[in-house]
Amino acid sequence: MFKSIIYKEWIKIRLIVLISLGLSLLALINIFLKVRHDILFVDAANYWYSFLFRGSTYFGILKYLPFAIGLAVAIAQYIPETVNKRIKLTFHLPVSENGILIRMHAFGAAVLVTLFLVVMGLFTAGSAIFFPSNIINPSLVTMTPWFLGGMATYFLVALILLEPVWIYRGLYAVVAAGFVTLFYTSASIGAFRPVLPALILITVLLSFVVLFSGYRFRKGEM
Amino acid sequence: MYAIECKNLTHYYGKKMVYENLSFNVEEGKILGLLGKNGTGKSTTINILNGFLQPCAGECLIYGENTQLLTPETKRRIGFLIEGHVQYTFMNIHQIEKFYSGFYEGWNSAPYWELMSKLKVTPKQKISSMSCGQRSQVALGLILAQNPDLLILDDFSMGLDPGYRRLFIDYMREYAKAEHKTVFVTSHIIQDMERLIDDVMIMDYNKILAQQPIGQFMNTFRQFNISLADHNAAVDLDGIAVNIERVKDKIEFYTYSTEEDVKGYLKMKGIGYNSFEEVKMSLEDAFIGLTRKY
Repeated sequence: MFKSIIYKEWIKIRLIVLISLGLSLLALINIFLKVRHDILFVDAANYWYSFLFRGSTYFGILKYLPFAIGLAVAIAQYIPETVNKRIKLTFHLPVSENGILIRMHAFGAAVLVTLFLVVMGLFTAGSAIFFPSNIINPSLVTMTPWFLGGMATYFLVALILLEPVWIYRGLYAVVAAGFVTLFYTSASIGAFRPVLPALILITVLLSFVVLFSGYRFRKGEM
Repeated sequence: MYAIECKNLTHYYGKKMVYENLSFNVEEGKILGLLGKNGTGKSTTINILNGFLQPCAGECLIYGENTQLLTPETKRRIGFLIEGHVQYTFMNIHQIEKFYSGFYEGWNSAPYWELMSKLKVTPKQKISSMSCGQRSQVALGLILAQNPDLLILDDFSMGLDPGYRRLFIDYMREYAKAEHKTVFVTSHIIQDMERLIDDVMIMDYNKILAQQPIGQFMNTFRQFNISLADHNAAVDLDGIAVNIERVKDKIEFYTYSTEEDVKGYLKMKGIGYNSFEEVKMSLEDAFIGLTRKY
């Protein structure tokens, strides 16, 4: 049964996931080509100094990529369910309504986590060629909220898309914008370290909000 | 034994009442057609039956379970055709069959592939690029493969040409009778229903006008065309008439009474006529006669 759910969800999102992976790889290639270029033509010592003491970053291009990926995957996964209220077909399957929504959502989230871990893993591996760990670690701390923001975007867009009443969608969108902005606040490198547990907790809690839209749909809100 | 029992359903959209204290049952093994004009509550009833709408009061039971709290086991026994043959159109016919088969232990793909073999579609053609008629066959094939005990078909004829409508009806009738299935069906095209249903339920605003076997309804509900002798004679609904449609001296008199009773009624009222004839009605005629033209 879960295999069937994965099968359908994968059909919906596979193209977007592959495009997202391709774009992420291009972004990483761009980052490391630029790093290599700067090390060759600037001077490695000065280059490292700018990251260690001036708060410069070499990975700014990645900032809004998780947001765009989370948004695209949520749209690819949930718009097909809302067209002609096809979610009725999904809720009619012989699984509890919350159960099937949780499974669909868990699959989408798992794909995103995998994709983001791959990107972060490749980023770490690529960075290790050029930089010491005291540049890489703060860099990972800096970009972790961006990836959490991508997850939060996915969860909140799912909530908005499955909500049956347009005016509520608008209200949710305003609230969602507020939440997502939290993850993309500009700060000096590594500054988000103390609040990472709180951001992780918020992201985990947001993963359940889609159940509310599912509940409202089943009760016949329109 | 009833497959569906609805008790004292009351529903409002805001302040607009759809119906109040509506009750009906559907016997197992019967094909019941729900007829009604737009806005009389057909879709509301279907949504309540499928658990997509909570009524303001009352409840519907399917196989003894409240439709708001259907267990997966009971849902497995219900086949649901959404208005417009809605399906996952981003899949092709192989993908959608593979997807659904994972949910139903008794899945029997033979009738699905039998229907698909009649469609002129390529194996990888997405359902979104199929005609409405072809999509209806995909939806029907999936329901037949699911092999449910109860089929809920919401406006199955929408968008279908006469050939596909006939194919759908003939398949459904034969299948339901051979397999002792219960069917709850709505359709805008009432002439289709005559070939398909055992029982008819006709809804009007806020109430049920008729619920009985289709044969009994068609035999007892009658139309008489009467040409009045006096253009100004008053013929009203206070007696045996269910509905009267009048154009000058010509009236269409709809009633459950016999010809003798109607003639006796006119005589009692002192209403003379030049001609009086009983008209054989189709189900559509009877529906309009009962619910009025507007």
